[in-house]
Amino acid sequence: MALTTEEVRRIASLARLRFTPEEESVFVHQLGRIVDYIDQLQRYEGEGSAETPSPVKEAEDVVRPCLPRERFLANAPESAFGEFLVVPEIKGGPE
Amino acid sequence: MSETPSELWELPVEETARRVRSREVSAAEVTAAALARTEAVEPLIAAYLEIYSDAARERAADLDRRLAAGDDPGPLAGVPVALKDNLSLAGAKLTCGSKILTGYVAPYTATAVERLLAAGAVILGRANMDEFAMGSSCENSAYQLTRNPWDLDSVPGGSSGGPAAAVAAGSVPLGFGSDTGGSIRQPAAFCGVVGVKPTWGRVSRSGLVAFASSTDQIGPLARGVRDAALALAVIAGPDAADATCSERPVEDYRARLEEGIGGLKVGMIREVSREIDSAGFDPASARGWQGALDHLVRAGAEIVEVSVPSLDAAVAVYYVIANCEASANLARFDGVRYGRRAAADNLADLYVNSRSEGFGAEVKRRIMLGTLALSSGYYEAYYGRSRSVLERMRHELDTAFTKADVVVTPTAPTAAFGIGEKVDDPLAMYLSDIFTTPASLIGLPAVSLPTGVDDRGLPLSLQILGRPFDEATVLRAARALEVQVAWQHAPTFRAVRMAGGG
Repeated sequence: MALTTEEVRRIASLARLRFTPEEESVFVHQLGRIVDYIDQLQRYEGEGSAETPSPVKEAEDVVRPCLPRERFLANAPESAFGEFLVVPEIKGGPE
Repeated sequence: MSETPSELWELPVEETARRVRSREVSAAEVTAAALARTEAVEPLIAAYLEIYSDAARERAADLDRRLAAGDDPGPLAGVPVALKDNLSLAGAKLTCGSKILTGYVAPYTATAVERLLAAGAVILGRANMDEFAMGSSCENSAYQLTRNPWDLDSVPGGSSGGPAAAVAAGSVPLGFGSDTGGSIRQPAAFCGVVGVKPTWGRVSRSGLVAFASSTDQIGPLARGVRDAALALAVIAGPDAADATCSERPVEDYRARLEEGIGGLKVGMIREVSREIDSAGFDPASARGWQGALDHLVRAGAEIVEVSVPSLDAAVAVYYVIANCEASANLARFDGVRYGRRAAADNLADLYVNSRSEGFGAEVKRRIMLGTLALSSGYYEAYYGRSRSVLERMRHELDTAFTKADVVVTPTAPTAAFGIGEKVDDPLAMYLSDIFTTPASLIGLPAVSLPTGVDDRGLPLSLQILGRPFDEATVLRAARALEVQVAWQHAPTFRAVRMAGGG
């Protein structure tokens, strides 16, 4: 399957990424080659979709100590009063 | 190590810990030796993103005070270790080799790292890696190029290239990395050291930055199998902080380590043999493979043939599943809660700008592939199909393990390749993971160990896979092979002597 520039743009928008036109043309080529390679899986068509049972144990529903707020906020790009994560003011409307 | 160690930094881990525990040497002396050695080799290989000289000295002094007071710090007393830059240590920087995490400080310590500290280890530094553990050469680090101690123009492998190079160069006897599709085993192979990828669920992933959660595992890189077995025993075991971590008790990996492999059934995969016999396969690696098999036979192993027909799909399946998981795991980097925040006028641009500025090319490529494979219209053909091929592969390997106790393959198709050789060809880079991806996908334990050198004098390695949670047998087989091989080769850097040292 050859990838088109439009296809790469659509995927980039889903992935919340943006590319320059130069990057875009490199990606169309590189991703196309990788997808071509991955397409070999299509010869396994008709294979039943076997689901792996999850090994995850359900945790007990009890309150446990968690990360102190100040340590979490220490990594925030911006915070206020030692209490709040500050997000930038949004001036424009939705895209 | 086959040579008689003459310096502190050359000692096996057990011996270092024994001397420190019996107070024949101080933790401070061991740390000073490791720091001096690191200072000598680091300018040439650039394995570390940060060296904790002061913190390591303070830690060693603290251990010595405890020892003087009659306290026993544990089986890694005074042993210097390097951590890959995706393992959390509370209060220390953690970047995952990415610009998007510049300035991030780990708010808590990974369970595996807590266990290293509880066993008396001294953390020497944070070692380089491919960004978000995505790569097979360490060239995808956003910060620096790490070089292979055996040949400065070759890559150290990846993604745990920093810890592998640090161990090979003699900076530390133990490094800790993560392996998602070969990221411990392949750099171990390229740097001529031992690398262990435990069974998925054997070591807690709490505090490891997630890449592909269904295959990520933390494991040790070491100079020898005994050191690796000891290190694994320290970090393995149940952990309430990771619900996917197994509750099975940890075996004593060293109890039967020296018992040999007389009568052990070693599986050779027919499809791998065919690949090795094919015209395109590196001749030196093919000879190395044959030599390693001969060693196994001399050690008493019985070689049996097994078949894993879906093996040739492993790389494709891996790059679909791992990248799908990566695209989901890396969605958290959006400029809101932590990490890089780019300037933007609206929310959509905040996400897009932060991610586009913060992530490097390979990470973007993988997020794109994962997003594509999970998107409407492709999900069944890529993700769904990959899951079902994976189940077929699991069935084939289950069958193989009814005939064989362990299964062997080369770790990588070639010895270390040159810096820059594959950077422009991502697919060629991915294809070098052909032998390491199956154990990752199925969650099997696997050990890589050096078995010889190629024409350029670069290490060649064998990989030993085992049944789930049978690390003990895999390590015993690795130890038997190690004894047979009697490794006499040394990286160029063995010759680097400490300034003013012996």
